[in-house]
Amino acid sequence: MAMVNLTINGQKVSAPPGSTVLQAAQLANIDIPTLCDHPALAPLGACRMCLVEIKGQRNLQPACTFPTTEGMDVQTESPRVVVARKFVLDLLFAERNHYCMYCEMTGDCELQALGYRYGLDHWVYPTYTKRFPVDATRLYFLMDHNRCILCRRCVRACSELVANHTLGVRQRGAESMIQADMNVPFGESTCISCGTCLQVCPTGALVDRRSAFMGRDIETEHTKSTCSHCSIGCGVEMVTRSGNVLRLEGDWDAPVNAGVLCQAGRFDPLYDERERVTKPLVRKKGELKETDWDTALQAVAKGMKGTKAQKLGVLASTYATNEALYLLRKLFSQELKVSNLGLLNKVAPVISDQGSLADIAESDIILVVGTNPVNDQPVASFFVKRAVDKGARLIVVDGKDNGLVPFAYMNLEMKEINRAVELAERAEHPMVLYGAGITKNAATALKKLGEKASFVALELGVNTRAAAALGLNNGFDASAAQALYILVGEQDLDGAPVLQKVGKDAFVVVQASFKSPLTERADVILPMAIWSERAGSLTNTEGRVQKANKAVEPKGEAKADWEILSLLAAKMGKKLGASLDDLSALAAEAIRPA
Amino acid sequence: MQEGVQIADPARRSMLLTALYIAQEQYGYLTKDAIERVANRLRLPVADVYSMASFYSLYRTEPTGRYVLQVCEGLSCHLVGGADRLVDYLQKKLGLEVGQTTRDGLFTLETVQCLASCGTSPAMRVNDALYENMTPERIDELLETLRGYHV
Repeated sequence: MAMVNLTINGQKVSAPPGSTVLQAAQLANIDIPTLCDHPALAPLGACRMCLVEIKGQRNLQPACTFPTTEGMDVQTESPRVVVARKFVLDLLFAERNHYCMYCEMTGDCELQALGYRYGLDHWVYPTYTKRFPVDATRLYFLMDHNRCILCRRCVRACSELVANHTLGVRQRGAESMIQADMNVPFGESTCISCGTCLQVCPTGALVDRRSAFMGRDIETEHTKSTCSHCSIGCGVEMVTRSGNVLRLEGDWDAPVNAGVLCQAGRFDPLYDERERVTKPLVRKKGELKETDWDTALQAVAKGMKGTKAQKLGVLASTYATNEALYLLRKLFSQELKVSNLGLLNKVAPVISDQGSLADIAESDIILVVGTNPVNDQPVASFFVKRAVDKGARLIVVDGKDNGLVPFAYMNLEMKEINRAVELAERAEHPMVLYGAGITKNAATALKKLGEKASFVALELGVNTRAAAALGLNNGFDASAAQALYILVGEQDLDGAPVLQKVGKDAFVVVQASFKSPLTERADVILPMAIWSERAGSLTNTEGRVQKANKAVEPKGEAKADWEILSLLAAKMGKKLGASLDDLSALAAEAIRPA
Repeated sequence: MQEGVQIADPARRSMLLTALYIAQEQYGYLTKDAIERVANRLRLPVADVYSMASFYSLYRTEPTGRYVLQVCEGLSCHLVGGADRLVDYLQKKLGLEVGQTTRDGLFTLETVQCLASCGTSPAMRVNDALYENMTPERIDELLETLRGYHV
């Protein structure tokens, strides 16, 4: 590829054809200040902070949108440029209320940083005396129009990344305001509270309620991890301070989600109000009594050893780590020869080799069959909506209430699957997203698409792929179990279908993070750490094994899911691998398709 | 509730301004219903359509009177002693301020910058029709005639 050669500040730079001046400068590590520009968003040229002087151009030009040409001569900090940038900043500071001292973002604000960089020491223009409203109608974050600089990052994030198109700008000039739909309060709009706009806002206009005034970035720690919600496996960053998770952000470098998150991934984990189990509990004379780990594990080992393999049952959550699921299989299936194994929720059947979520963007027809990603795997629904924006045709084979129906070209019933298959056969790059709601007939019909289509199962639990690969979904019969080990973990379940069938005298061990009807029935409760408190690895629906990291200490005496099983195995006299790294490697090996 | 959005086709976006104009003619102004219908018909985001409607002053998102009186405030109309005098006269006569509508819903008074009729200034417009060489007397006649249609 022929590169474009140009000079920036006297330095020779070459960039791929089609690069903007800003991109060329970034390749050469030359810093040009920006505000409206964001690496994940299409350039807009709204704020004029990146103005540069280009030889032969009469006016200063915005580097973020100006294309490079051969032999171009650019100055990024010439006196003329600096004067213009200061002028832009003076106007931005005067337009609304940028009295930094009382702003949540002070210290972390991109506008404030530029104010310091260009030496703003007083207000040149009379500050805008008008007060703008604060919209606090959304549960998780609010919009303070007084701090808004109209950079439109939020608007672009909403349409380009999430393809939700809720945000826009109404009026023009000094009357311009960020707004939702037809100027309705954000909380009453089509907003899905994914928080992507919050994550890209350069100032204190969008404020996270939970972490507001809880510390500046320099006072916090960032730990990268993998979201523990659904089978997409988005990369997250946990922002912590003094052992508390303040907020979750999307990891821009993550291969799956590239920065976006959904409400369930970004906010809900921090608003979980279920009561934690913090100490091991053993039932004595009908009552659950707090005890130590040793006693509790001893009780479990005794109960399990005293039961025949055919009378043992195991139920696992699809939200547990690779390591825990691996140990569960190793201990119960291979060592104790238990065959009554099952998962706590329904999973999709295997139709074909799993494709990649990235295929969604390349597809021209998308079949969504028996799954409702808008509710259950929202980030996957973003990918679908983005593809639809680009012209892909969406066929939803599911009920009329499926969240993707409004975006669909066609909504079919499951029995009309052949029509969907016919249409997909005629397409160049068909994509099939399917879930546990698919019927056997539909799954068989879809097999006709064979190699041509890319298949991705959308599952509820983050680690469903690993659980299925490990053979834990073996058809479980609760009534046959005299001793039952339930790894419920963090899963939100009332467990009624299981509890109804479990015998009155059955010995029930529950490994759980939260209290639930299942823990009430338990004879032993083993307290488990939650997503922020444990390390391990998770396998997403594509088969991608990703790290989950620990950011804070487990609450009370809770332990990581795999650690509990490792201790239990040791208690039962089985050595099944020691360190986390060993277990991760063994688990990855066991999960990998043959 | 908005139906699906399909922004891939630039042709539909290019129809937006015309579609809004037609909707405005039919509804009188761009009601929420009108904006939603335009958005659904063109499969564009409601937020985008509303942004566009609120950006251009030719689109109205508030109801107006049956007749919108636009008095030119351009240079020529000023020089012949027209603009201020006519605006004052209309405000007193109709008992309203610029931007308001009479209580009977007949007249809305607005000022505009130039109607490209400098040779026959002072000029004003009633809806889409141009009126030239205006004086208070001619305004009386005009209002009389317009009211006559609605007795």
